[in-house]
Amino acid sequence: MSRLQLHDLQLARGGQTILEHLDGRFMDGAITALIGANGAGKSTLIAAIMGMLAPVAGSVECRVPRERRAWLPQQLALDLSFPMSVEELIMSGTWPSHGALKGYCGPHYRRGRKIMARLGISQLAHRPLGELSGGQRQRALLGRTLMQEAELLLLDEPFANVDIETVDVLMEVLRDMARQGATIIVVIHDMEQLARLADDVLLLSGGHGRWVSPDALLDHHSGLVPRAPRLPLTFPDASHAGTA
Amino acid sequence: MLALLDAWLLAPFDYGFMQRALVAGLALSLAAPPLGVFLMLRGMSLIGDAMAHAILPGVALGFLAAGFSLPMMSLGGILSGLLIAVLAGSVSQMTGHKEDSAMASFFLISLAAGVMLVSLGGSSVDLTHVLFGSILAVDSTALVLIAAISSLIVVILAVVFRALVVECLDPLFLRGQGVRGGLIHGIFLGLVVLNLTAGFQTLGTLMAVGLMMLPATTARFWSQRLEGLIAIAIAIALVSSTGGLLLSYHLSLPSGPAIILLAGSGYVFSALFGRHHSLTAQWRRHAAPLGAPEHD
Repeated sequence: MSRLQLHDLQLARGGQTILEHLDGRFMDGAITALIGANGAGKSTLIAAIMGMLAPVAGSVECRVPRERRAWLPQQLALDLSFPMSVEELIMSGTWPSHGALKGYCGPHYRRGRKIMARLGISQLAHRPLGELSGGQRQRALLGRTLMQEAELLLLDEPFANVDIETVDVLMEVLRDMARQGATIIVVIHDMEQLARLADDVLLLSGGHGRWVSPDALLDHHSGLVPRAPRLPLTFPDASHAGTA
Repeated sequence: MLALLDAWLLAPFDYGFMQRALVAGLALSLAAPPLGVFLMLRGMSLIGDAMAHAILPGVALGFLAAGFSLPMMSLGGILSGLLIAVLAGSVSQMTGHKEDSAMASFFLISLAAGVMLVSLGGSSVDLTHVLFGSILAVDSTALVLIAAISSLIVVILAVVFRALVVECLDPLFLRGQGVRGGLIHGIFLGLVVLNLTAGFQTLGTLMAVGLMMLPATTARFWSQRLEGLIAIAIAIALVSSTGGLLLSYHLSLPSGPAIILLAGSGYVFSALFGRHHSLTAQWRRHAAPLGAPEHD
């Protein structure tokens, strides 16, 4: 099943086409890695999937209800000097479905505490966001999407500026969410992390997208992560895929 | 001792004009500081000032049309304030210039237009009144208007509070849910304009911003939580407007500046001695860093 499909999608920003003829389906319960060089259109595609950018042609077919769609921007996009505690941030995940006017009730708080325990940030519940490390913040932000019970989750470089331990926790939680049927799309730069996490890979390059299997990006001979293909990746020809 | 306190704190409010001034000041003190806190947190501290100038031409037009009628002047102020906000917003959207540069241009234009209008139609006394207000001249109609606008602001703010918080912290979260960020932003600017029009009668168009921003910036030195910031800012505003009125009564000072200067001295004091980020707080931190290894 796939609740998120792209149909001959063409996206542009400022009159400049960024991506065209983009097709494909993101499978339910799968983690898709979105890779490509800077400017390849990763953020543009995410914006289109979230419905913030209207396609020039083609369409994004998304059957996940809006309040179950979540997106985790790069940390830089957030104003972290804003006086808000970890618990408050996580509780704000209830707003899309619960409504922003109603108060929280007991079950909400209990779920919030469970989520914080799951992410290992219980002891930080009342700390302001500005005082957290990059990893702690990322856990809190993922906590908000858990609170939201997101079924479509888009993450923009969630592992940047994050400690190794946090990467493990985040990956485990993402894996769990996928197991429960969530569609997850992750912008990722690190091939090693990609190898650990991704079920599918959508490679954006030169204005086009290509679906590859994660294995195709790994070294077939050794089965290890190749050292070479750090980004910017060159677009492998289908015939040479995996042998480059 | 009690008699002295009574003479200083209570006796002045035997007068009707002082009672009305006090109620007007307190009503404004409840509505303005939360707006100021959000302006400050959004990095828009100076926008309040710009908006204060923007309401001037409307106030002047209301004055020219209906004489010294607060409802007409307020209506004019609200309309011109909103118009300038929309104009500045759309110019910045269309040209891609930053909103603050458009805002700066428009507030200068409207300041000049406002002063021109008042001068054409009235005397310099009227101009002084519009620019600097006179809280002691608040009559019952004005008082009802001020109280009504303040209540309206508090209610609307309560309704959009969470959306406003999210928009400050993470605008994309809101947009992802299909709420246009511009909508919340617009409502918020509308509230700022409303509050300034309520404030201009008492403090004047220019100083009405003072009761909005000074308590907010002062509170920043005392709390790091949103509720704390808002509560402290309101408390500071309440104390400043009451204290300012008393000072102006006893020392024959102009009331508006007395109120704002009192709030201002609170700011200076807090910058020096506040709990967070103040000079002494920084000094304390240098003296005893938390958990730092000891150096010999």
